[in-house]
Amino acid sequence: MASISIEKVTKIYPNGFEAIHELDLDVADGEFMVLVGPSGCGKTTALRMVAGLEDITGGTLRIGDRIVNDVSSKDRDIAMVFQNYALYPHMTVAENIGFALKLRKIPKAEIKKKVEDAAAILGLTEWLDRKPGQLSGGQRQRVAMGRAIVREPSVFLMDEPLSNLDAKLRVQMRAEVARIQRRLNVATLYVTHDQVEAMTMGDRVAVMRAGLLQQCDKPQVLYDHPVNLFVAGFMGSPAMNLFDATLGEGAATALVGSQKLELPSSLHAIRPALKSYANRPVIIGIRPEDLPVAGDEPAAIDEAVYFEGDVELVEALGSELLVHFTTDAHRVEAEGAKDADSEGLSAGALTKGGEGVARVEPRSQLVVGRRVRFRIDPARFHFFDPASGLSITS
Amino acid sequence: MATAELVHEPRARSMAEGSPGPIGRDPNTRHFARVGWGFSSPAFGVIAAFTIFPIIFAVVLSFQNVNVTGSGFGLQGFTTANYHAMLTAGLWHHALWFTTIYTVVTVACELVLGTVFALVLERLTKGRGMMMALLLIPWSLITVISAELWSYIYNPTYGVLGEIWHVITGASPPNLLGYPLDATIALMFADIWKTTPFVAIIVLAGLVMIPTELFEAAEVDGATGWKTFWKVTVPLLRPTIGIAVLFRVLQAFGLFDLPYVLTGGGPGTSTQSLAMLGYNTMFTDINFGPGAAVAVSTAVIVLVMCLVFLRAFKQQVGKETISA
Ligand SMILES: Nc1ncnc2c1ncn2[C@@H]1O[C@H](COP(=O)(O)OP(=O)(O)OP(=O)(O)O)[C@@H](O)[C@H]1O
Ligand SMILES: [Mg+2]
Repeated sequence: MASISIEKVTKIYPNGFEAIHELDLDVADGEFMVLVGPSGCGKTTALRMVAGLEDITGGTLRIGDRIVNDVSSKDRDIAMVFQNYALYPHMTVAENIGFALKLRKIPKAEIKKKVEDAAAILGLTEWLDRKPGQLSGGQRQRVAMGRAIVREPSVFLMDEPLSNLDAKLRVQMRAEVARIQRRLNVATLYVTHDQVEAMTMGDRVAVMRAGLLQQCDKPQVLYDHPVNLFVAGFMGSPAMNLFDATLGEGAATALVGSQKLELPSSLHAIRPALKSYANRPVIIGIRPEDLPVAGDEPAAIDEAVYFEGDVELVEALGSELLVHFTTDAHRVEAEGAKDADSEGLSAGALTKGGEGVARVEPRSQLVVGRRVRFRIDPARFHFFDPASGLSITS
Repeated sequence: MATAELVHEPRARSMAEGSPGPIGRDPNTRHFARVGWGFSSPAFGVIAAFTIFPIIFAVVLSFQNVNVTGSGFGLQGFTTANYHAMLTAGLWHHALWFTTIYTVVTVACELVLGTVFALVLERLTKGRGMMMALLLIPWSLITVISAELWSYIYNPTYGVLGEIWHVITGASPPNLLGYPLDATIALMFADIWKTTPFVAIIVLAGLVMIPTELFEAAEVDGATGWKTFWKVTVPLLRPTIGIAVLFRVLQAFGLFDLPYVLTGGGPGTSTQSLAMLGYNTMFTDINFGPGAAVAVSTAVIVLVMCLVFLRAFKQQVGKETISA
């Protein structure tokens, strides 16, 4: 068992493309770290460098206390689950799972026992004599997991292992993988582009974009305090509503489209930096679940801010309603937010210029075409600098 | 998931199932079918005349007492004497022995060398096309021409090899083609030189079909290059190697032109292959019955070998799918 420490690691491919720029990331022993980001941001590249399948152009990579930049992957004591499983087609399930042990010259009886134990954990016992070609996608995925867990490696690497599964199986396996990881208590680097997986599985989540690490923190922190527009738009489904706004004198008001929101002094108390944006444009963000319909909000809100829109579409999900509304404000599209929507509930909805989404109580009485009034807790607002995209935090 | 299926069974099946319905019902389709048969009939005619008839004729000849006279030859009744004579005479046994040894040695060497070449070619990132083109030159030469070239190289008086021998040892060079064993090795060498590229290309085609992740998975699993080769590469290459071996064995067993030009079957009859024996018996000795018997016996041996081989590789050829 060991930790992974990635220090200023850079990857430049032979064609001159810089896929990773000075990545700093530490995965503690036993920690489940999720690496998330839109397609092509360098997640696989980062993982493959840790695995030793890709040369490191610059920086230092440590597994445990050992610098492994130049250690070949067979000597790194890692186990990897490949995106497309990479099972050996000519071996049975049992042989696939036991291959690494066989290479280590472990006695046959012991291999058999370990393989059977792993198969029992993964529910593969009845398929041990089959070849991978005779298995379903979900079963193959579990074989790939089995191949990793029998090893009892010091580090687990997984590259979108659930991406080929159907939605239901994915939810099942999500819990299964997390459970296995907790049980084995091995440092794990898990790549996904699905932010639901990131939120639910990771002890910590690292968000990447175009080869650069954006933010790395506990999922809830990431969700509640995104450091920039990209993270704000990427985490969460449906994504955070982001609108252009202009702050008024003393930052006491915010003009969103034609609506003027009164920003109470309690907000300035928690975000003093807002004052310096007086009379300047900002980007204002609010998560869909922070937009309760006035009168339906669960608890009374002090100094509530009201925001209005026209109901355009209501999606009833049983436990909640997704209300798509339009305003005359200008909506800001955070780059990459679209990719995050793989399980997005609003994916099919038409998006218009000033559209927003609210997640409201299922009992709310809403009529398409009518005006809806949201009553917002001002502490729930996020503000971003439009030039840098950084969150206006303090 | 990267799936490379060697044989698309489902497609083949669906075509077979889909076609019978409409054909024969629709007069239009029937008309097209007739036209189709019409167009293919010349080809069938040619095949019947030049392939099927000679085969049947050879079988008939081999069981006949053939009498050759100035005005042609006559079949003078059924006999098994041709086969009896063949099986009791030493020539046929020797030819069979020679051809078998020759086939086994050359195919084995070509397979090993070809695989090595293919592995190297696969690693090459630059100049792969160029290397392949160079490699294919021996294969693209007509055998008779390459045999002439080798006979020049091997020639003791003015040959290149002899000259090199002379420079190194100072002694006069041996006549390579003058001793049975040396001549056999010289033949095999020429064959391996010519045919290894063919095997290399086939194996290379199989190699590039194996998904890279499998090698990476093996490395992560802790396999050395050597282990990966034997436990992953070779098993996944089995169908490809099987096909290469099948082709090569069939070809090598019909060995004719190389010894015909290079050694003339000599010294004596030591490098006389089955095909040469058949030819010589028929057209040099004008002994049609025994010659046909040799030809038929060779064909039967090859046929049996193919069946045995296909049986052994049944699991691999066609059935195996490479999926990761
Ligand atoms: N061998 C290579 N040579 C050059 N560029 C490459 C190579 N492999 C990947 N890249 C580039 O590096 C970038 C990162 O690729 P990577 O595979 O790490 O993305 P990813 O984050 O895993 O994306 P996805 O979610 O689609 O799997 C991409 O822009 C890709 O085009
Ligand atoms: Mg990837």
